[in-house]
Amino acid sequence: MTPTNLLMYSTFSLSIFGLSMHRSHLVSALLCIEGMMLALFITSATLLSTTQTTSLAATPIILLTFSACEAGTGLALLVATARTHGNDHLQNLNLLQC
Amino acid sequence: MSPTIYMIILSTLATGTIITMTSYHWLMAWVGLELNTLAIIPIISTMHHPRSTEAATKYFLTQAAASALILFSSMTNAWNTGSWDITQPLTSPSHILLTMALAMKLGLAPLHFWLPEVIQGSTMTTAFIITTWQKIAPMSLIFLTMNNLSTSVFLLMGLLSSLVGGWGGLNQTQTRKIMAYSSIAHLGWMATISSIMTNILIMNLLIYLIMTTSVFLSLIISKSKTIQDTTSTWTLSPTLTIIMLLSLLSLGGLPPLTGFIPKWLIMEELILQNFNLLISMMAMSSLLSLYFYLRLTYTTALTLSPNTTQTKFKWRFYPNTSTMFIITPATISIFLLPMTPLILL
Repeated sequence: MTPTNLLMYSTFSLSIFGLSMHRSHLVSALLCIEGMMLALFITSATLLSTTQTTSLAATPIILLTFSACEAGTGLALLVATARTHGNDHLQNLNLLQC
Repeated sequence: MSPTIYMIILSTLATGTIITMTSYHWLMAWVGLELNTLAIIPIISTMHHPRSTEAATKYFLTQAAASALILFSSMTNAWNTGSWDITQPLTSPSHILLTMALAMKLGLAPLHFWLPEVIQGSTMTTAFIITTWQKIAPMSLIFLTMNNLSTSVFLLMGLLSSLVGGWGGLNQTQTRKIMAYSSIAHLGWMATISSIMTNILIMNLLIYLIMTTSVFLSLIISKSKTIQDTTSTWTLSPTLTIIMLLSLLSLGGLPPLTGFIPKWLIMEELILQNFNLLISMMAMSSLLSLYFYLRLTYTTALTLSPNTTQTKFKWRFYPNTSTMFIITPATISIFLLPMTPLILL
């Protein structure tokens, strides 16, 4: 495993462990999702520059576009949660557990 | 939501699933899944109350994490093999990640906890979309990659799903949660057969979709949010009680109805493969599911609950919701059993 690979895998793993272990605020969950998407962006960009595959040239841009849409949706949900629940603690999302 | 925006969102939802089903490249599969997730979020959070916001947030977090995991597994696979094709074999760490991500997308047993809560927090129609249309895209990915995924993991997840679906639904009084646990149990049967014979998987998925459509449409017409609400179905439409009874028994898998076809074929196939203990446990767990379906049919059609004198004339009025769409799914979900040799591919 090259240092580049190690860097990319550990970035993604840290982000997804952060999402699954550190569940206090919705903002931190959204930041972790954004970190996962950026790790994937770096991975696809370096894959592209390493293999010089021109047919995959649009991959990082498509990925970044969709991750931006996803981050926008996440922030909209953050605003909606703040308006309906008063704060963004994930513990407060407990109305449906029964 | 204005009708224009609603139509745009619904067409995006359809496009996402179709992109995933027809894709050959992992990136396009991921794009389809993302479109699906981004389009269903406004539909779930249309009602501006805390429950729907919570459901939308939970759906968004799980689905975003799962689709990112799918793309990560395919990208590590592309680093190792240089291939982005869905049908090509996956290398060792990536197929485990893909299995987990697809199970999380579908709501299979160890990763199912989001499904009942999301369905409880959304409206009846949205719950109907989540339990039917949203299952097609991940299931088509399972269908495409099944040759490369681990058989024993899928057998184990299928058994666990049908057990969890049976035990979890027993204590519920809300019809949407009951339907969510029934969805988990049916997905368990599909996951079990997916690693053995994929054409039974497709047939089981289609029959599950039709039966769930029939039951959900009867619940939507009779506006039944809880078991208690189903007791007044006969005042609205006496015919609907019979349709709901037969659809629920079909969903439970009783022999003269359509729901028996997938259970019969899966049992036969698994016994042929010598998975006797597994299939006995799954048959027993489907008895648990049958118990809560039977409880619904009991309150709907088999008893007469106390009522006032005016309520019994409600069936004379013209219904508010359209009852036309239930005809085809109800007929198919009741009468299809004699057609078994024709529909098995």
